[in-house]
Amino acid sequence: MDKKLPDQPSSNYREIPIRDLDPEGLGSLSDSMKLSLSVEDMIEIQVYYEAEMRREPTDVELECIAQTWSEHCKHRIFGARIEHSGSEGEEVIDGLFKTYIKAVTERIMKNKPDFVLGCFVDNAGFIRLDDEQAICLKLETHNHPSAIEPYAGANTGLGGVIRDILGAGKGAKPIASCDVFCFGPPDTDPQTIKADDVIHPLGIMRGVVRGVRDYGNRMGIPTISGAIQFDPSYIYNPLVFCGTAGLIPITDIDKEMSSGLKVIAVGGRTGRDGLKGATFSSMALDTESHEEDQQAVQIGNPIEEKKAADFIIEARKKDLIVFVTDCGAGGFSSAAGEMLSEVGGNLYLERAPLKEPGMMSWEIFLSESQERMVLAVKEESMSQLIEIAQIYETELTEIGDSDESGILKVWHNGDLVCELDNSRLHDAPVRHLSSGYQVPSGIDHDWSEDTLSDDLLSVLGDFAVGSREPIIREYDHEVQGNTLLKPLAGAEGDAPQDASVVRIDDSEKLMAMGLALLPEWGKTDPLAMGKGTVDECVRSLVVSGANPDKIALLDNFCVGNPDNPEELGMLVETCKGMAAAAEAYGAPFVSGKDSFYNYFETDDGAVSIPTTCLISGMGVIENESNVTGSSVRRDNSLIAVIGTTDSAMGGSVYARIKDRTRAKVPDTNFDAALSSYRSYHLAVSESLILAAHDVSEGGLGVSAAEMAFSMVAGMEIDLDSLPVNGDLNNVEKLFAESSSRILIECESESIDRIQEIFSESAFAVIGKTESSHKSLRFKSDGMNILDNEIESLKETWKNVLTPYY
Amino acid sequence: MEKRPHALLLKFPGTNCDAETSRALEEAGFSSEILPIACVDEGSLESAQLIVLSGGFSYGDYVMAGRLAQLELERRIGDALTRFRDGGGYLLGICNGFQILTKLGLLPEGSLINNTSGRFICRWVKLERRVDDNPFLRGLPENFELPIAHAEGRFVAPEGAAEKYMDEGLAALVYEEDVNGSTSRIAGLTDNSGRVLGLMPHPERFLWDSHHYDRDWVGDGDGRGSGYQMFKSIYNTIAGEIAHEPG
Repeated sequence: MDKKLPDQPSSNYREIPIRDLDPEGLGSLSDSMKLSLSVEDMIEIQVYYEAEMRREPTDVELECIAQTWSEHCKHRIFGARIEHSGSEGEEVIDGLFKTYIKAVTERIMKNKPDFVLGCFVDNAGFIRLDDEQAICLKLETHNHPSAIEPYAGANTGLGGVIRDILGAGKGAKPIASCDVFCFGPPDTDPQTIKADDVIHPLGIMRGVVRGVRDYGNRMGIPTISGAIQFDPSYIYNPLVFCGTAGLIPITDIDKEMSSGLKVIAVGGRTGRDGLKGATFSSMALDTESHEEDQQAVQIGNPIEEKKAADFIIEARKKDLIVFVTDCGAGGFSSAAGEMLSEVGGNLYLERAPLKEPGMMSWEIFLSESQERMVLAVKEESMSQLIEIAQIYETELTEIGDSDESGILKVWHNGDLVCELDNSRLHDAPVRHLSSGYQVPSGIDHDWSEDTLSDDLLSVLGDFAVGSREPIIREYDHEVQGNTLLKPLAGAEGDAPQDASVVRIDDSEKLMAMGLALLPEWGKTDPLAMGKGTVDECVRSLVVSGANPDKIALLDNFCVGNPDNPEELGMLVETCKGMAAAAEAYGAPFVSGKDSFYNYFETDDGAVSIPTTCLISGMGVIENESNVTGSSVRRDNSLIAVIGTTDSAMGGSVYARIKDRTRAKVPDTNFDAALSSYRSYHLAVSESLILAAHDVSEGGLGVSAAEMAFSMVAGMEIDLDSLPVNGDLNNVEKLFAESSSRILIECESESIDRIQEIFSESAFAVIGKTESSHKSLRFKSDGMNILDNEIESLKETWKNVLTPYY
Repeated sequence: MEKRPHALLLKFPGTNCDAETSRALEEAGFSSEILPIACVDEGSLESAQLIVLSGGFSYGDYVMAGRLAQLELERRIGDALTRFRDGGGYLLGICNGFQILTKLGLLPEGSLINNTSGRFICRWVKLERRVDDNPFLRGLPENFELPIAHAEGRFVAPEGAAEKYMDEGLAALVYEEDVNGSTSRIAGLTDNSGRVLGLMPHPERFLWDSHHYDRDWVGDGDGRGSGYQMFKSIYNTIAGEIAHEPG
């Protein structure tokens, strides 16, 4: 064999002696190299080199293992064995992922064969759109980079998830994006920020929005959906979720490596930007992070990615791709690992085009420079691929090959700098954790009915509810020419909608994209949050016209400190609620991601984010006539509500405004909800629904107002007709955020048939639209208890963010 | 077989509205071809009656929008586009394409710079057609809507020039209200021949009723949007010319 053993010194890599270190020495080595590995992990590595390799590791190998085993890449907390004490007493959970995500999806897949076409394995989850095409969706977080460098962090967050889609199957076409942010309130008093170098929420918001804008718009992918949460707990750890949906022929979903293929890199060059991003994002932030870890944030170049995207789609159409994946966290190490870890193969680092000379072996292998894709292709396809790369002006370089050895060998200028037994490489020790959470006993607050009119204005004018228009308009949400239900629509083009809908070329089906997050609920009752979040996401898709039996979900978690048993306990309870809801609705999880260590050591101690669970989803809409908006379309039509209003005010915007905590959080009745969603879908299919809006943040008062923002007609609602659970006062009727409710507008001629359809559900006509005025009026006991000009409500709602963005 | 008018779309790195623009051209009756700039030479233009520069961010638009695309086009084919127009061809520039045509000097002098708000703006706008017999706009009513999506759409021109374009019928389209700070609210320009049109709004995004933000929008009752009418107008113009060609 012509290989040089790693103990010969080389300028590109070095050997790291670990075999003689004691546990303390291993720990300090992990710290000094910033490996983010525990002492237990280091011992495992030591044993491996002692017993199996019988040599010292190279720096390339150690860095590679650290990346692979990082929380970011390996999701070790979701794989951990957890002793939990919570809503179901004491129990041992053999992996959150296995128990609450994978098992749920597998059971649903048994009942719905042929719907999920790929989940958990590839870069994104796939569902069937029609006989020929599939849609896929992936969401990622880019929290730590966005905290340190908001523009670049968010920019590359979106760029990264777009590459996930380009690397899904044999290369899916990105067709829509979404973004969800959690920020501190824009009006945060700078004096209250208790740490140096933390960027004010306003700076974070402006940077993040522009980062997403400049990547998404330049890529020509419509950003159609999103949400923003404002809460002081996100000041130190803002959250940035970016998601992209893709379209792909079903026959191009499956990909398989084999020996004898060429491995090629396409797109951007490799540099020192984005070194150790995966390990960086697996640590907590502190002031030092802001100073030291700048190089962990990558630099985005969307045009480089656009060229690579054009190349990939063209190459896939010509059937020239055997395997493709993106260079995400871990760079070449994870991409090559994914491709070559089973069949085996060689990677030659000196062939990789570099941004700068003099890079060390591990830097090239681990760099997370953006805009790079790695493909495995047949040798005979090379000339055609080179031609396509020339046409789209993207750089294509052969960097390796696959063989039958089962071992990934990384070479640099003739030196074998990394040789890992791949069956061991991905095998991080299972962690053992303990957790516990009990919901505090609820407090019955008295809600005063004296100021309803002002209360409605306060809720509409709150950061939680106000219009996101200034931000939405920064995103090109109509490029590709397929966005039918836009984020803002209605007769004046500026009223909020639920899910967004894109048409699909060459199909009669359409895709709805929706999302939900309710972190405020989870502060008190994470189990209820898990249930309610899935419900709200599913409902938003159904409201916009998706078939309730053709919905798939993604789970994205952001958590503070998982080593704190209570914070971990809240995560466990969230997972339980989310899993129960998904299973009841038959909505499988097809992909997801988690982000831990979202806490910050301030001068006053550690501040964690609330357990944040973002549920996003894609749904199939059977045909264009089912697409349903949320804005009133007629005068003299009827307004009806589906679902029951409950007195639980916990987590509501209203309770927050009134500064009342620990109220009971709404529970979700899955059976009643699913049955009403199916009935609703039947009504939509019979073209009986003019418009529909979910009743969520802000409650019925906000939902009715938002429907009326099309300014087509006035609206009168009688609260006495509202289906309720128990004895509710008017504050609860107007502002409770009970799950599973939908407000609809229909023609009076259709109401008999609609009532027949909803005979098994909580359903009531509660009002009508009016041509004689343009006000929103609520009546109770025959009296007008609330009467506002819609114009002035809309003005308040529209101007919440305008002073800040 | 009847010969369909042929449209050629030139694609730069960063052009991203080519697929839907091609779809719009096909819907209107054209045969269309998307040609990456790396493949373009003077001969490429021969088979086309219409050349389209569609929306996007050519080369990222990191220097003035359209500037690098202009330089690359001139390097590759010199003044071939001018000769194409003089030879009876038609040129359409949408959004980034409008910016490029302006930089190439194929449209009246001026520039498209940052919107006064300093922001990207994605919304629908009301437009007024200010020319009576433009080959691209014949089939459109005097007032109609299209979506815009741009950061650099504010048209500026030398002192007094914009007013002159308005008087001379070169300002083919204006916004009904000020949306981006454009001088004289200019949204689209044509040249003296009438065979070149550049506009910031995106006609390819309004092919059908269902594209409109208002579910209850109806045009002529044929399910078609105003953007379609624009592509149909230029199709009808060119198809009419082909039909009258001898042989």
